[in-house]
Amino acid sequence: MLKVDHVSVKRGASVALKDVSFSLAAGKTLAVVGESGAGKSTLISAILGLLKPAQGSITWAGAPVRLCRPALVMQEPRSAFNPTLPLRHSVFEAVKARKLHVGDARLDRLCKGLELERDLLDRRPAAVSIGQAQRVGILRALIAAPSLVLFDEPLSALDAVTQKHTAKLIAQLQKEEGFAALIVTHDLGYAVAHADEIAVLKSGQIEEVSTPQDFAVAPKSAYCRVLRDAAIALGALEPAE
Amino acid sequence: MISSVFDLVLRALIVLAGTALATFALLWHAPGDPALSIALARFDTLVTDEVIEMVREEAGLNIGFWPAFRAWIGPLLWFDFGNSSVTGREVLPDLLVAVSYTFPLAFAGLAFGVAVALLLAFVATKRPGGWMDRVAVGVASLGAAIPAYWLGLLLILLFAVHLAWLPAMGARTPAHAILPALTLGLGVAASLTRIIRSSILEARAQPFLPAIRRRGVPSSAIGRDHVAPHAAVPVITLVGLEMAFLLEGAVMVEIIFGRPGLGTFLVTAIEARDFPQVQAVVVLTALLFVTINLVIDVIYRVIDPRIGGQDA
Amino acid sequence: MRSVLVLAGGVGLIVVFGPVFAPYEPTMINIPNRLSPPSGDYWLGTDALGRDILSRLLHGARWSLGLALLISLIGLCVGTVIGLAAALGGRLADWIVMRTTDTFLAFPDLVAAVVIAGLLGAGTWSLIFALTVTGWMRYARVARGIGLSLRTRGYVIQARLAGVSPWAIARWHYLPSLVPSLTVVWTGMFARAILGISALGFLGFGVQPPMPEWGTMLLDARLHMRSTPLQMIWPGLAVVISVLAINLAGDTLRDALAEKHTDR
Repeated sequence: MLKVDHVSVKRGASVALKDVSFSLAAGKTLAVVGESGAGKSTLISAILGLLKPAQGSITWAGAPVRLCRPALVMQEPRSAFNPTLPLRHSVFEAVKARKLHVGDARLDRLCKGLELERDLLDRRPAAVSIGQAQRVGILRALIAAPSLVLFDEPLSALDAVTQKHTAKLIAQLQKEEGFAALIVTHDLGYAVAHADEIAVLKSGQIEEVSTPQDFAVAPKSAYCRVLRDAAIALGALEPAE
Repeated sequence: MISSVFDLVLRALIVLAGTALATFALLWHAPGDPALSIALARFDTLVTDEVIEMVREEAGLNIGFWPAFRAWIGPLLWFDFGNSSVTGREVLPDLLVAVSYTFPLAFAGLAFGVAVALLLAFVATKRPGGWMDRVAVGVASLGAAIPAYWLGLLLILLFAVHLAWLPAMGARTPAHAILPALTLGLGVAASLTRIIRSSILEARAQPFLPAIRRRGVPSSAIGRDHVAPHAAVPVITLVGLEMAFLLEGAVMVEIIFGRPGLGTFLVTAIEARDFPQVQAVVVLTALLFVTINLVIDVIYRVIDPRIGGQDA
Repeated sequence: MRSVLVLAGGVGLIVVFGPVFAPYEPTMINIPNRLSPPSGDYWLGTDALGRDILSRLLHGARWSLGLALLISLIGLCVGTVIGLAAALGGRLADWIVMRTTDTFLAFPDLVAAVVIAGLLGAGTWSLIFALTVTGWMRYARVARGIGLSLRTRGYVIQARLAGVSPWAIARWHYLPSLVPSLTVVWTGMFARAILGISALGFLGFGVQPPMPEWGTMLLDARLHMRSTPLQMIWPGLAVVISVLAINLAGDTLRDALAEKHTDR
């Protein structure tokens, strides 16, 4: 279980995260939503151990998160791959570095689940579409069977149709693989549709944590109500009646 | 602003201390017995074991590395470079005499070089890509490839041997300085021409210039008010950095033309293993260049507040 | 990149096969024929000891060009390792490396090389040492700069998260991006090394006679400037042509890289 416990992170002189606490059980999905600048990326960096929190602790099953080798799916699929190497190299990096064995069957199953041709892996990042690159990015994240996967705006770089489809693929794979997913997104519709819990981040602080049903029907704070109504007005969220 | 300047000064001091330590370590660990070399330089062939031991003690070579370093660095803070281990004379006055020969030469070279470079660059940018531009760039490329010592020898060959217009060796009259300054200046001009040329072209390509021209501002005024200042910033800093090139050039030029100065002083000192003299030249050079770099960095920050935010 | 390959190939050919075309032994003394002008027998004339200048120039390429190649490549390796160590090794490593680089850069390289080579005693090894010690900083700066900019790239972060070792990260993700810029720096440093070797040779601190290094040849020739000025022209010309060729190759490469950059 991922436990974020009273975490504050400073960036330079300003505070990027302030007293943030939440938890995420194994196999479950937590969506973190918020405007740009709310501290979502900082939160991801802190969980991955790329930033040291000034206060508080972040653990997975009581140990530092780093030890469970969390995987990350990035917002910009192209820049997540070395442009000079075939995609295969990046995909198998974690497997090779940790001397794991990945059977052909597993690779086939993952590729099938992500609707990827295996030959695609021999191309360079510039030679595949953005949608394909993002699915290869998900493949890279899942290949070593992590128990925690962080998704940093996984759909923002994709077009609307691809977004829906990719979201479905992620959800399906999660059922099969059983990893815990922390999804950072500004897309409330996506969060409500796929998450078990939603955490709203505002100016570095957690505004509220609730289930999608509660969030759609009766947000607790005024800010969340504004957020929900804006999403409904934009058509990103169905009005819950 | 203040704190970043303080930072720069602190950094300069660290660099100076590092240089002093590196020099001293190099001298200390140089192969061969320095006492023997000094004794040889001082007494020629009349060297006995007793003489060597005496020299060793006198030059402070018989104590350990750190005590010797402390004994040297202490007085150095007050610009006391000690006494030459060969002649026994104080180092500082001799060093200042050498400097008084080198600096005027360096400045004459710089002035000549900048003048030639400006001329070539203006000719070149009259019509970029035209034949004059190509000739100027070609001359500059050629100049950058010619080593100072060869250029000096060629000039001697032409003006002193063949034409017999100018004196070549020594430094007795101002005329003796013409060929050395020419040698130095052509080297400076070669490296500066391309930089001035490209910064003029860059300044001319500023996006707001066509708008000003369309408003009817005469092109001479545009050149004066908009192109020249923009092109000047990188050029000024580069002229500062040319100082390193000038000193290197001066070392070679002084030796070719048999002129007294820092270069001759340094080479003679190295050959005689006169440690205090070598140390003095090295420390003076480091001080000079650290100061120049410091001044340039500070000027940068004054001109352009965008610089200095991040660690460059 | 092709221009640099052609250049490297050309230098290699001259260094390896140049001596084959030398008509005489470069150190063969022939006093009766001393200081003879260019002729059918001696195309470029002979020096003060009657040695054939053409043969000495061809053999000298091994010293002047071969050593310069060696020195610039050692500098490349040392500088790249230091620069990457600064970029990847954390704040303290970066601070130490940058202050060391500043210290070395605060000094005109040739003057430093003269001091080092002179104090270590004239000879080929101290020449190599002196020019390497004063020739790694530019590589280190460029490697560090690119290294720092790569550190926040997505694929580098992913590699770190995947638990890839720092060596493998440097090998696969940093080196390929460093190659173009470092090659440009290398051409400049190669030319500088040629000039440095001949300058130290000319000062008497470099390759020692009777080895036919170009700067050392110039030092000999200088004594006979009045009687046989041509003798002085050849070694200088060899240096100038080599340096010019290298600089042109470097410029071509830099322009090509700049173009590629703006294309994207």
